[in-house]
Amino acid sequence: MGEDADTRKINHSFLRDHNYVTEADIISTVEFNQTGELLATGDKGGRVVIFQREPESKNEPYCQGEYNVYSTFQSHEPEFDYLKSLEIEEKINKIRWLPQQNAAHFLLSTNDKTIKLWKVSERDKRPEGYNLKDEEGRMKDLSTVTSLQVPVLKPMDLMVEVSARRIFANGHTYHVNSISVNSDCETYMSADDLRINLWHLGITDRSFNIVDIKPANMEELTEVITAAEFHPHHCNLFVYSSSKGSLRLCDMRASALCDKHAKLFEEPEDPNNRSFFSEIISSISDVKFSHSGRYLLTRDYLTTKVWDLNMENKPIETYQVHDYLRSKLCSLYENDCIFDKFECAWNGSDSVIMTGAYNNFFRMFDRNTKRDVTLEASRESSKPRAVLKPRRVCAGGKRRKDDISVDSLDFTKKILHTAWHPAENIIAIAATNNLYIFQDKVNSEMH
Amino acid sequence: MEYKVEAHRIMSISLGKIYNSRVQRGGIKLHKNLLVSLVLRSARQVYLSDYYGGACLGSQRAEAGEWAEGETMESLEGRSSPGAAGADSCESETESRETLRAPETNAQASVEVAAERNAEEPASSSDYNWPQGGETDEERAPGQAEDSTQVPSCPVPESRFECGAANADEGPQSPAAAAPCCTRKRSAGKSPYAGSPVKRPRPGSVPPANTEGGDASEDMDTGNVSSLITIFGSSFSGLLSKDGAQAEPGAADGDSGSGTICCEQMLPNLSPWSTAIVAF
Repeated sequence: MGEDADTRKINHSFLRDHNYVTEADIISTVEFNQTGELLATGDKGGRVVIFQREPESKNEPYCQGEYNVYSTFQSHEPEFDYLKSLEIEEKINKIRWLPQQNAAHFLLSTNDKTIKLWKVSERDKRPEGYNLKDEEGRMKDLSTVTSLQVPVLKPMDLMVEVSARRIFANGHTYHVNSISVNSDCETYMSADDLRINLWHLGITDRSFNIVDIKPANMEELTEVITAAEFHPHHCNLFVYSSSKGSLRLCDMRASALCDKHAKLFEEPEDPNNRSFFSEIISSISDVKFSHSGRYLLTRDYLTTKVWDLNMENKPIETYQVHDYLRSKLCSLYENDCIFDKFECAWNGSDSVIMTGAYNNFFRMFDRNTKRDVTLEASRESSKPRAVLKPRRVCAGGKRRKDDISVDSLDFTKKILHTAWHPAENIIAIAATNNLYIFQDKVNSEMH
Repeated sequence: MEYKVEAHRIMSISLGKIYNSRVQRGGIKLHKNLLVSLVLRSARQVYLSDYYGGACLGSQRAEAGEWAEGETMESLEGRSSPGAAGADSCESETESRETLRAPETNAQASVEVAAERNAEEPASSSDYNWPQGGETDEERAPGQAEDSTQVPSCPVPESRFECGAANADEGPQSPAAAAPCCTRKRSAGKSPYAGSPVKRPRPGSVPPANTEGGDASEDMDTGNVSSLITIFGSSFSGLLSKDGAQAEPGAADGDSGSGTICCEQMLPNLSPWSTAIVAF
């Protein structure tokens, strides 16, 4: 699955020449909008950077729609909860775009506690020729005004304005891990560790609690919610995943509080793989509906699975992302890597799935051909317009040239956040503080 | 045995993580602490299994009959609390409990327990497998694990005591760290979460036939430690029931009995834990 790489590395860190990474620049979420024209990234410092795809230019047909920075703004600031003496991180956990309904774009961004609705609009004209004000905005001396003129709109340099339209605060006691916009375009949900709330986009002082798994007695707590998403077409259905590796599909028509699931998707654990860390590696870190709405894609620490909504007792496909780590779970526990939450993504036609791994590797699995590939997102190995070379990790046994051995993997370089353009073969990969955008020039015959 | 060393190491690491989570930016992360506490619990059970493997076998046999009826009320929480009681640490115990418990699917028992996480099949590829117990299904005394009164009889090493003390010191941290009882997936048929509080260790049980405790001072030490372990293992059930009158509705009456025993010894250390529950 070769790809031409139109690599754009946006380094947020102004300390470019140094090797260390400013923590605030670490990208924490990546999301395309529904058309793929815009790509938003959030980072640990609470900033959102939006990229826009340049329209294809006739002069350089090879330069097919690159992404350039469109707007940057500070979405969330660090806060302090005085009651609990807790600092609330400004890290952007998730960004979700609203379907576009007029000239402006809207997106939701959330940190641990507060969700904000941002309006992104363009201004490329401004009025000139006011009667009472001069060009600088100062009031004119009325005695100098002898005639009336009608102000006219004159073109100006494009300006992108971002404003916070809604702030949905105080809805969550625990850390928000997911937001998802409903297909009705009026409501959205936000999920924290124990509860899921349903909001109306226009109402900020109220939300409905639709899932609550907090036990009456906290000592009986056994699982938490790890991700949640609305069905892409059915506005009454949503799914949430748990730390125990189960998925629950809920129907909001059944009752106001969706504690009883309509379907429970769970695969019994393989007893041969039992270890101290079995619970941790079975915790689902991400769940995504397919574009068709028929399938679910989940990611746990070592595998990614495709589930059919019609079959609850096991996934229809399981892909090993980096099974060579199974024997290293203890070390990964020590250095906290075992808690890393990898995301997963579908391509536009639901035929290929993608997820990240360590050493800046990311993996793609073709569901039809059953082929998979490991690619690397790094400056050294990819020049602009170079074809990405497939990588291989060798876990012992015969080692080929260019193989990376498991022990030389860099676990600080992890690709947690990836996104796939909704229609084309363009992917956005967040590698720590760098964003890589890869485009596939070869046409869809492969997919 | 090296698995014990590893279990101890994992326990130390886990406790370190829980401790550090208190000072991390952004507050205590419930999910991560829950997972860490699950690992800690698993490691603790493996670590303690060695001490009670031999000591309690005899007493288990004696009590096998007594505890059979306790089965229905059992929850994993109660079962794992007693790493101190040692009984549940015996690998075959848990295996046999699995088979015993399988038919017990009433709502109260179910809670979180579907498959037992202490299934003892060896995992070939993992570093840290559950050690395969040598005992057979004869030692069917699943309910025995509940009995905290048995606690003082089993010797506990000094290092375990330190570990336990460290637990107490960490008091006002996420209660979720110690909270979770069941770690296994729920099967589709069972209720999602506890409608009623979990069973507490049975009171007034027959004292074990073999008292391995030795002299009084050692009993006191081990009693303390075991109580700590019991409290930690049963999350905060021991604490909440400390004055007996607070026994939660529906909880077994055994609550107050065992809780009292634990708590008389542990009262000075209790307040930070209680604070932790309230705060979180």
